[in-house]
Amino acid sequence: MTLRALLLVATALFSLGIYGLLTRRQAVALLLSIEVMVNAANLVFVAFARYGSAPGHPLVLFALAITVAEVAVGLALVLLLYRRHGDTLLELASEAKG
Amino acid sequence: MSPSVTLALVTLVAPLAAALLCVLLPPLRHRGTPAAAITVLGSLLATSAAGLLAMEDVAGRAIRATVPWMVVQGRGLGQVGVRLDAVSIPMLAVVCLVALAVQVYSLAYMHGESRRSYGRYFAYHALFLFSMNTLVLAPDLLQAFAGWELVGLVSYLLIGFHFDRPSAARAAVKAFWMTKLADMGFLFALLVLYGRTGAFSWDVALRPEVAEAAAGLIFLAVMGKSAQFPLHVWLPDAMEGPTPVSALLHAATMVAAGVYLVVRADPLFAQAHWVQGGMLWVGTITAVFAALLGLVQTDIKRVLAYSTCSQLGFMVAALGAGSAFAGYFHLGTHAFFKALLFLGAGSVIHAVHSNELKDMGGLGRRMPLTAVTFALGALSLAGIPPLAGFASKDSILTALEGRAGWIPWALLLSTAFLTAFYMGRVLVLTFLGKPSPAAAHAHESPPVMTVPLIALAIPTVLGGLLGPWLARGLGGEMHLHLGLTPVLASLAGLGGLALSLATYLRGREAPLAATLTALDRASAVDRVWAFGYRSVLLPLSAVLRWIDRYLVDGLMNGLGWGTLETGQALRPVQTGRTRDYALAVVVGAVLLLVLGAWR
Amino acid sequence: MSEELGFGLLALALVGVPAVRVVTCRDLVRAILWLAATLLGTAVLYALLHAPFLAGVQVLTYVGGVVTLMVFGVMVTRKHEATAFTIDGAARLRGALAALAFFVVVAVAILRTDLSSLTPVEPPSTQELAFSLLDRYLLAFEVASVLLLAAIVSAVVLARRRDPAPAAAQEAATLREGSTP
Repeated sequence: MTLRALLLVATALFSLGIYGLLTRRQAVALLLSIEVMVNAANLVFVAFARYGSAPGHPLVLFALAITVAEVAVGLALVLLLYRRHGDTLLELASEAKG
Repeated sequence: MSPSVTLALVTLVAPLAAALLCVLLPPLRHRGTPAAAITVLGSLLATSAAGLLAMEDVAGRAIRATVPWMVVQGRGLGQVGVRLDAVSIPMLAVVCLVALAVQVYSLAYMHGESRRSYGRYFAYHALFLFSMNTLVLAPDLLQAFAGWELVGLVSYLLIGFHFDRPSAARAAVKAFWMTKLADMGFLFALLVLYGRTGAFSWDVALRPEVAEAAAGLIFLAVMGKSAQFPLHVWLPDAMEGPTPVSALLHAATMVAAGVYLVVRADPLFAQAHWVQGGMLWVGTITAVFAALLGLVQTDIKRVLAYSTCSQLGFMVAALGAGSAFAGYFHLGTHAFFKALLFLGAGSVIHAVHSNELKDMGGLGRRMPLTAVTFALGALSLAGIPPLAGFASKDSILTALEGRAGWIPWALLLSTAFLTAFYMGRVLVLTFLGKPSPAAAHAHESPPVMTVPLIALAIPTVLGGLLGPWLARGLGGEMHLHLGLTPVLASLAGLGGLALSLATYLRGREAPLAATLTALDRASAVDRVWAFGYRSVLLPLSAVLRWIDRYLVDGLMNGLGWGTLETGQALRPVQTGRTRDYALAVVVGAVLLLVLGAWR
Repeated sequence: MSEELGFGLLALALVGVPAVRVVTCRDLVRAILWLAATLLGTAVLYALLHAPFLAGVQVLTYVGGVVTLMVFGVMVTRKHEATAFTIDGAARLRGALAALAFFVVVAVAILRTDLSSLTPVEPPSTQELAFSLLDRYLLAFEVASVLLLAAIVSAVVLARRRDPAPAAAQEAATLREGSTP
């Protein structure tokens, strides 16, 4: 069924996002990976909205809104990080160490 | 709740309230006089209530009002409350009366103390009256034990009242340890009783071995509390406490609590014939031994202390002979005249500022009231008819007739002679003859001190009349009879007194006095106990202290240290790197998914 | 079956390939552009799944808004030298393992689930969607608007101009030269 195919693709997408989340050193790159993951989730919702019965579309809209908010705040944090350390590498934000 | 029970509760609650007020409101205590006022007021209430109770006729019946204590599975472990009968009411009256007299006397006697000490003193007195009444009114042995231990505590506090004096502190500790050792007997007796009967009552029929065991164990505690040989050594040292304390606790009431307990638990002791036999001999030996030592004491209080010990021996012997009445009767009369003697001694000590007999003399002229009341007390103690002491001593000797081949009877008769003899000595050395330098400026004590003396003198003289009343209450009879024993007892008393006056007025010393003094100084029994303390108790304490410090504390400290170390070891987990945390999240999510899929 | 396979391959091509480039590309700006491609691909998929409105919104919000924002963000925080080592070597292995583990677990779950009972339905039309937003999902709608407001305000507050830290720049330089921490 195409639903299954779609779900598998979405899972693959999500996994790729995880890989990026765990691998990238730049803060912005992290945000990109998160975007990919959110996208995968939205895809699942839409797929189910088509092939099953779920309140998919409104959920996607709200997920979008939330993501946008998150990106805004995230970029503000990246700016702060840059201002503090002159770069946006994640290791620089290690005050929670030890 | 019947009026009698209410009255009984007053005797408990009034002193308790006074004690609690003194404890919980330090200002009352620190200002001194308020604490004294509260305590005396409480005692007054208690005494009035006791007096009213005494006027009731409770012959043959008992009023019991209790509530269960420590309810487990619907049943209480023991009973707490009051028991009013012909045994508890007389003792209650005696205790409250003597306590009141002593407390009033103390108002003046303790005046030299600082205000804080004064207040502390009276707070202890209030606590004592409550504790003693708890013991007297106990409906079963459990509450009796509680009262017993409490009075032991107060005794420790009051013997060591002047705790900055090393001798006083040592005496308090000594008293505490010895009586505590003896109290183990009481504790084990409770265990035996509970194990066998599931209750703590003395009113049960037991198999002979059990009765003997229980009674024997209780008697062990009695030996400690009532200073019977060989556990008597703490009593002379207890004279370190203030004289009114010696009068109340260590003459009239607390030391008599042992005797009272045996009277109270008579149904139990009546089943234990071997124990009674033992009591007969222990009492007799104590009486003789203590009287001999009392003869050569130089401190007036120590004379009276050994005298108390000796008279307690009389009571115990009577109990051993099976006559609870005789022992109880003598307990009552002794309480009055011994308290009188101690308070009188206090009056004298106050006047000459010394306890030593050599610092006294010729005080009869200077302190007439004290002298007369003291003399009355001494005569009563010596068993001169028709004073109270004669009546009660006679009942004891009568009870001993024929027992154990007349030997205890003969020994106690001789002791009666000795008693009169050593009291004569005291009378002569204190009130007659030429005054010593210290006594030259003595004067009579203030009324606050002399009125209690007079008050106590009345039952000292007339107390014998109450004998029949007491006997009826206990289900027996007492009548005055003219027989061998009373005549011999009177002769012993009079003869002892006469001989004593003859000896000491001429400045001579009694025969064998030097031997006895040497015996006293050797204090063999005391040394044995001291050795036991040093070589058994202290090492045991040291071992326990080690266990507590290194094992118990060590365990706790170790746990604390372990926790801290573990925390330190786990610190590297917090790397501060975002990616590591993200990895943790992902791994956790995967695990949760796996878990979810498995269900 | 073949429909499934075909759809799957199409989806992979549309979104899978760009996504891979997003997480592997060294140059940040390129990575962002690949993200845009992923998002566009997703929009196409939405359209194919009878969700035209969502496709439109996706393009507008994500590609138009978010991606633009990202580009600006990168531009502002750019250093002059080339951004090397944006991927951590040692972390690659465990990242791959974790991602793989996740994929396997979920894929297995999907494959074992019986989806045949589900029948295709027609997703809500735009008008239906609009109505439901103001009807069933009114509370969520309002909350979302509050959230957006909060996000704006906090972003502004956080990003306010403050004094720069010269010492920190030194530390950042040493870090970039070194290997994995």
